[in-house]
Amino acid sequence: MNLTSCTYEKEVRQLMARGQWPDACPVELRAHVSGCRTCGDIVLVSGAFQQARVESLAAARPVAPAVLLWRAQLRRRNAAMERVARPLLGAQIFACAVALLAAVGFAGLEARNGVEWLTWSYWHDWFVQFPQAAAAQWDSLSSGSLAGSGLTWMVLVPTVATLVLLGGVVVYLATDKP
Amino acid sequence: MAPTGRRTRMSWEFALPDAWAGGAQDAAAGAGVCDPAMENEAFAAFYSRSARPLWAYLARSSADPALADDLMQESYVRFLCAAGAPALAKDGEAAARLYLFRIATNLLRDYWRRPRTASIEEIPEEFFAASSHATQTEAQILLEPALRQMKPRERQMLWLAHAEGYSHREIAKVMGLSAASIRLLLFRARRKIAALLRECNVADADGRKS
Repeated sequence: MNLTSCTYEKEVRQLMARGQWPDACPVELRAHVSGCRTCGDIVLVSGAFQQARVESLAAARPVAPAVLLWRAQLRRRNAAMERVARPLLGAQIFACAVALLAAVGFAGLEARNGVEWLTWSYWHDWFVQFPQAAAAQWDSLSSGSLAGSGLTWMVLVPTVATLVLLGGVVVYLATDKP
Repeated sequence: MAPTGRRTRMSWEFALPDAWAGGAQDAAAGAGVCDPAMENEAFAAFYSRSARPLWAYLARSSADPALADDLMQESYVRFLCAAGAPALAKDGEAAARLYLFRIATNLLRDYWRRPRTASIEEIPEEFFAASSHATQTEAQILLEPALRQMKPRERQMLWLAHAEGYSHREIAKVMGLSAASIRLLLFRARRKIAALLRECNVADADGRKS
């Protein structure tokens, strides 16, 4: 299809837009339109669309502008809140990553002693013996032999710190709103 | 787009700390907010002049009045929230209207791209009411069958050009195409729909005779 334009196209278009077709149109232009396909198309299509526009404008039932203003305000507020919540999500992910690393580190340390710790009996014995061992450790700590128990402190402090951290993360995740 | 004068926060923003309201302030600044009351008035005036033409564009392009209702509201909400939207006071209503039509065009495009399944309950009542020949106007009887045979993009272009009276450059802005492409596409679309309208006219005249 060739793109052929007519010199009268603009004039016809303006007459149509102003609603002056065909009453306020010169006779020569009317004669031209009846013989020109491009201008004839413009008249036919513009007439149909303008008539349809008038009917559609009457059929429209727009809501009150206040509703839209309110919805826009609500959306902007939600967007602002989302922006604020983003760093909190980052902190949660960071806490989980640290907890995971601590767990992996702990598992790695224990794995040095073999894979016995993965069995049920190992943990059963550990829980049975833990109170006695803890009491013995406490006695040794309270008796002042700190120099001799340096290794024990090195294990005890990170363990307590990890437990506190994990506890904090669990409490935070449990109380956090979705 | 920066506001031209003193900027006042909207009422709900007073309830939020600065950091929380920061984004909203930016958005409000983008929409050219100077004073909430003034903004509301300006928007209401703009809305009263542009809502019906926008609805007509959406309804005729989509052939679905219920969808047009939804998309019209969404267009205005996005317009109000957009950081880059033209300010009514500074850029003028024509620029704001073009921007609004562009949002609506993009929403329609997104809607058509989205895969969907519709059940019979989801089809609006108006769809069935509109199919009743007795209630249709002459323009609907002639134009609708022709429009239905056009591609969505052609319907949009034809409406913007012949119902809204936009120039090629303005249509190009709304549709995100070049003005040269619009000229060619519009020419083809007009040829196509003119042929269809002539067919409909002939068929309608034959129907009246018999």
